[in-house]
Formats: sequence, structure tokens, C-alpha cells
Amino acid sequence: MAVAVQPMNDHVVVPFTAKIVTVSTATLRALGEPARALGTQIQAAGFAVDVKNGCNGVEAMLILVAAVLAFPASWRERLLGIAIGVAVIQLLNLVRVVSLFWLGVHRRDIFETFHTAVWQTILILAAVGLFLLWSRRIGSRAPRA
Amino acid sequence: MRLALRAAAGFLAGLLLWTAASPAYGRLLAEAAEPVLRFLERPAATRLYAEERRLVIDRADFASRSERPSLPVDDLTFNVILFLTLAATRRRLFGDRGLLYLLAALGILGVTHVAAVVVAVKAFYATQLGTWSAAYYGPVSRTFWAGAAHFYRLAGCWAIAFVLWWVLLRPEVSAAAPTPGRREPRREPKRASRLRGRG
Repeated sequence: MAVAVQPMNDHVVVPFTAKIVTVSTATLRALGEPARALGTQIQAAGFAVDVKNGCNGVEAMLILVAAVLAFPASWRERLLGIAIGVAVIQLLNLVRVVSLFWLGVHRRDIFETFHTAVWQTILILAAVGLFLLWSRRIGSRAPRA
Repeated sequence: MRLALRAAAGFLAGLLLWTAASPAYGRLLAEAAEPVLRFLERPAATRLYAEERRLVIDRADFASRSERPSLPVDDLTFNVILFLTLAATRRRLFGDRGLLYLLAALGILGVTHVAAVVVAVKAFYATQLGTWSAAYYGPVSRTFWAGAAHFYRLAGCWAIAFVLWWVLLRPEVSAAAPTPGRREPRREPKRASRLRGRG
């Protein structure tokens, strides 16, 4: 719930989201979409998205980090799990933002379905799936009495 | 691999069901949530009705010419897709009482959706109507309803889907599971595997 606190949101989450927007815009440009970044917004002629909490992958990251920290493992294993997991989630989130923007420009009719349901569910499932993979790997390595 | 395929099939089934049923489900939610909201207020003034994929909030004390606010019903109900994705990972979903558990879980999920609508409308009343909100909702009440709505969207909707799956449908919960009170035969540890472990 710390991300819901205003100072945390203003000084950590929003700048982090702006970075996501910068990378997403660069990816969109590389794919031939004439997009530009403005703070947490990605804009193009006739369409713009404002990336907010829920679309920046932070919730999925928090679920993963909380689960990894709560799991009995060494700190080295935890940090490795968090680093790899967060990287995978953010990569997936990059695909989400880029694909949603593309859908908004070219297929507005299905944008909302993908925005609300498809990508949010995929991100949460990814976080849980990554945790299960990590915990199974750690569990199989753990010494047995 | 099979687990991933079953999950993908569940995800697609959930997405199709949710997309197709949302308008009708919105009407059902409006009809179920309205009496709860009216029970919670004095005088009972709230009217809820579904319009496409939104729930329109009407009140007897709203000015007749003012635009009616609405809430996106999809934001409150899409956790059914996650739930059906998880449910599909169960091997015999429609056997071993699986169908019964599935229907029970969907029923409970429906009840939580009604509660989510109630909370969303109360949070709207408490925070979005300017001086009206300030006049009828104190600081504690505003914080409570806004916090509850925020919690549902941030974590609650996912948690409900996971808990229902874990309690009722996770793969281990089946007729094959040992009945409480009945002891499983005790197994001796395999000597061969021990020896292999020593290299």
C-alpha cells in the first residue's frame, strides 16, 4: 500500500513511470509509429495514453517482491529472484504499453478490452508464474533433513 | 506444458465469457447492488442501471437536468478471467465435484462483485461530489470508502480470485486427497535413492 501514499507516488512512482514512457516511445518510434513522450503520456496525432498506476507494472512487481521476500531463501537467492523477475515483468510491461498504444491508434474497438482485462491479467499471472518457477527452483535446491 | 495449455484455454474461455456476458452481468449487478445501497442510506435515494458496459448512478436528489455519473463495470469484474485461468489448471475440472466447486466459486465471486459495486458507488459519493460529499461523509467515512475501493482495485480483486481458486479448485483439492481422519499407509524411505544421493 506504500505506493498509494502521495509522496511515494510523486517522487518514486511517477518518475519511474516517465522512464517507462520514454522507453516505450523509443520502441514505438523504432517500430515506425510517430509517437512522442510527454511526462507520463505517449502522444500521437489523434490518440494519446497517460500511463498510470496499474499500467506501469508496479503492482505485479510488488506482488512478486512480496512473495519472494516472504519465501524462506537466502538473501542472495532472493535478490537474484527479484532482479530477474522485475526485469521480466518490465519487459512484458513494455510489450503491454507498446501494444496498447498500437491498438489505440489502429484498433480502437478492442483497445479497452486489452487495456482492462487482457494485459492486467497477463501481468499478474506472470508475476505469480515467475514466483512459482523461482520458488520451485529454490525449493529443489534446499538441503533436506 | 499441459498446465500452461490448460491455463491458456481457461484464459481464452474466461475472456470470451467476460466479453460476451458483461452487458447482461452489468444489469444483474445493478439490480443486486441497488437494494444494498438503498439499505445503507437514509433516505434511500440511489438508483442504479446498466448502460452498455457502465453502471449509471442516479439519485432522487440529483438535479433532473444534470448529467448522471457512471462507473465502468468491467474494472470491477474482470478478475473472473484470472479466476477461470487458474481454475482451468485443475486436471479434471468438471469431474470429482469440480463443477460443483466451480459454480460455488463463481457464485461467491458474484457476491464479491456486488460488494465491489457497492463500495465503488459509496467511494464515488464520498469523494467525487464536492460539497455534497463533504456534507454527508466525514473524514473517517471518506477514507474508509475510498480506501476500500482503492484496495479492491489494487489487490483485492486479484486476491479474491486466488483465494477462491486456492480454497476450492487448486489441483490438490480433489477426491484423490486423503479424507480427514483416515491415515495414509506409512512408507519406508527408499534405500536405493539414498544410495544414489551419495554418488
